[in-house]
Amino acid sequence: MLAAVTVLRIMLPLLYLATLGMYLWLFFTDHPTARVRCTQMAVVTVIVHTLALVTQTAYLERLPLESPLEFFSSLALALMVTYLVIEQSIRAKNTGFIVVGTAFLLQFLASSFCHTKISNNPLLQQPGFAAHAGLAILAYTALSLSFLYAVLYLILARQLERRSFGLLFRRLPSLEVLERMSIGAIKLALPLLFVALALGHLWMYHLRDAQPALASMLTPWDPKILMTWVIFLGYAGGLAGYRFLGWRGRRMNLLAVFAFLAVLGATGLAHHFFPTFHKFRTASEVIDPRAPRPQATIPDPEGHSGGWGS
Amino acid sequence: MSGPTILHARTVNHRLAPTEVRERAHLDEHQAVALMQAVAAQPGGVAVIPVSTCNRTEIYLEVEEDTDPTTLLRAALEAAGAETEVFFSEHALALDDLDAVRHLFRVASALESMMLGEPQISGQLKNAYRLARRHQEPGPILLRAFQGAFRTGKRVRTETHISKGAVSVAFAAVELARKFFTNLCSHTALLVGAGETGALAARHFLQQDIGHLLVVNRSPERARDLADTLREEKRRGKLGEARDLPQVPADSPEKCGLVAPRPWEDLAEAVAEADVILSTTGATEPVILPEMVEQAVAGRKGRPLFLLDIAVPRDVHPDVAGIKGVYLFGLEDLNEIIKGNLDSRRQQVPHAERIIKQELAEFHQWMADVDMRPTVAEFRAYLEDLKDKQVGFVAKKESPEVAAAVDRSLQQFIKKVLGRSVSTLKQARTAEERQQALDTLHRIFGEEPRDDRF
Repeated sequence: MLAAVTVLRIMLPLLYLATLGMYLWLFFTDHPTARVRCTQMAVVTVIVHTLALVTQTAYLERLPLESPLEFFSSLALALMVTYLVIEQSIRAKNTGFIVVGTAFLLQFLASSFCHTKISNNPLLQQPGFAAHAGLAILAYTALSLSFLYAVLYLILARQLERRSFGLLFRRLPSLEVLERMSIGAIKLALPLLFVALALGHLWMYHLRDAQPALASMLTPWDPKILMTWVIFLGYAGGLAGYRFLGWRGRRMNLLAVFAFLAVLGATGLAHHFFPTFHKFRTASEVIDPRAPRPQATIPDPEGHSGGWGS
Repeated sequence: MSGPTILHARTVNHRLAPTEVRERAHLDEHQAVALMQAVAAQPGGVAVIPVSTCNRTEIYLEVEEDTDPTTLLRAALEAAGAETEVFFSEHALALDDLDAVRHLFRVASALESMMLGEPQISGQLKNAYRLARRHQEPGPILLRAFQGAFRTGKRVRTETHISKGAVSVAFAAVELARKFFTNLCSHTALLVGAGETGALAARHFLQQDIGHLLVVNRSPERARDLADTLREEKRRGKLGEARDLPQVPADSPEKCGLVAPRPWEDLAEAVAEADVILSTTGATEPVILPEMVEQAVAGRKGRPLFLLDIAVPRDVHPDVAGIKGVYLFGLEDLNEIIKGNLDSRRQQVPHAERIIKQELAEFHQWMADVDMRPTVAEFRAYLEDLKDKQVGFVAKKESPEVAAAVDRSLQQFIKKVLGRSVSTLKQARTAEERQQALDTLHRIFGEEPRDDRF
């Protein structure tokens, strides 16, 4: 099992790199073969990455979300999945290299520096938590894609204003498509975020009986949960403006950019001022001290913990 | 046609001849048919395919090997009543065999076109080919050369970007609009002015399935006439080709392309309705004013408004460019786009030439195989003859079963010998080497020496 985990860990950045190469080929040449091959390559990468995560989860007996580097890998997969969904619905591929490039960077960091470490973290072994965390990651990734496309919209709009008819003018899709991609990403993110929040609440109530120690740390009035609801409602409001009030163009895309910057800012502040909740390492220290498991660590000569910290 | 044939081509094109010379060289359909008949009537003439467009007249002629194509063509042109001397002047270029085929492939790939990569030449070549097939039976080389040309042209268009990007003002206008709105069917365009340039651009917008097209002109009759003409052309599908732009399938094509004239007094209202405004009037003062556009933008809730002013002097007041949400472009912007697209097309030429080289190599191989066939057939006939004699001899002495076994065995032997010979001939490194081998084979096993030796 460890051999499979290691092989897949080495394979993944190479696959991402090959996919990135395909999307760059498409961006610079718009070659018909690249147009077909890039999506095929992306699908193969997603399949292999999913397999890698499943294998890793089976080996670790927990979700690989304990450290930021482990999280990077899941984020890379989430980026690819959400991007592919949007790409397929809008049929515009020329911006793929930006998303795949980011995913490659995340996976490269995860594969290069993350150490596969078996640890006793009951929180990450909970299926309820797995669904909640997975959906939340996908939702936030979709929001980041919405941000990306809104930024591209603003860049192209600026280029058109300046009458700059260079490579970006020739290769980027139309303003209309970029806007649809940005809005499409929000449309994808909102249901995911809603279900993630709902599952989180359900799981929290479920823990009251199953894990009282952990449940005592959780409250629906936690600032991070409240902040997430505010984010959800803010985006839902923006979407309603798009749908019912006809908000379009630069205004809508600026809103998407500021909304995501607000998400980043609020998340940073919440992590700074309320550091205990959603810190999985902390949770592992708090709950279920009854079943200590042996610490089997893949060589970590520098003794890095790779954890989120507490 | 009894023996081998050769290909000869003559071209009078935009690179060699000025317009007035090209006009003299032009062959209309009637003259083209007359030329085909005249070539067929000449001794040694096999077939001819004339191709005549506004930028070139080309004559692809297939004649029997021992016929002088120049003399034959001159006689045929005279018989057809066409301008003869222009094809033999300093404005014409004569090409033979592979050079002629290479030229045809380059023409089909639009590398020889005045506007590099233009797509019309493919249709023009096909029309010439169809006309030729209707009136004569082209020889094997002409057939193969034109089929190869169509394949080469198609490959160049699909495997390179030589036809990509607008290279005319009207197409560039559509291409620029496409940077704002991908699916034009859900948008409205406003044409201000009913002049020729505007009408041409309007045709391209309709061809690309613009949702609504409003036509406003100072003279309501002209606006109405143009709207009627465009509507009729749209209905009959005769808006012209716009194949150098990607066709985006409209959500509901039947709802696209609605054309309506509007009175000049409703200009402000029409501006407020439009997503794309194309202004081409001959007015001496701006007709699209800032207050008009500000009013329109106020109702757009952030949606961009694309304005294209290709009138001289300008139709759109310069202050309009400063209004948020308005993207104003002029003729110089379209020229800038065209220049960029032409540069991109030029970068595709080496790729296109690689494709032509591949296709030409294939054609060359086919030609060589064609050359080889008569000699190989003679060799086979000789071996078959030998085998029959041998089997006959055995049949006289042995049982029919033994004779049949010998026959089968010798058949296998012939197959192997022929296979080996053909593959050796194909491996010849140069045309001369191959010809030498063919000559040797012909000398040994050809018609004449066979009887002498046996």
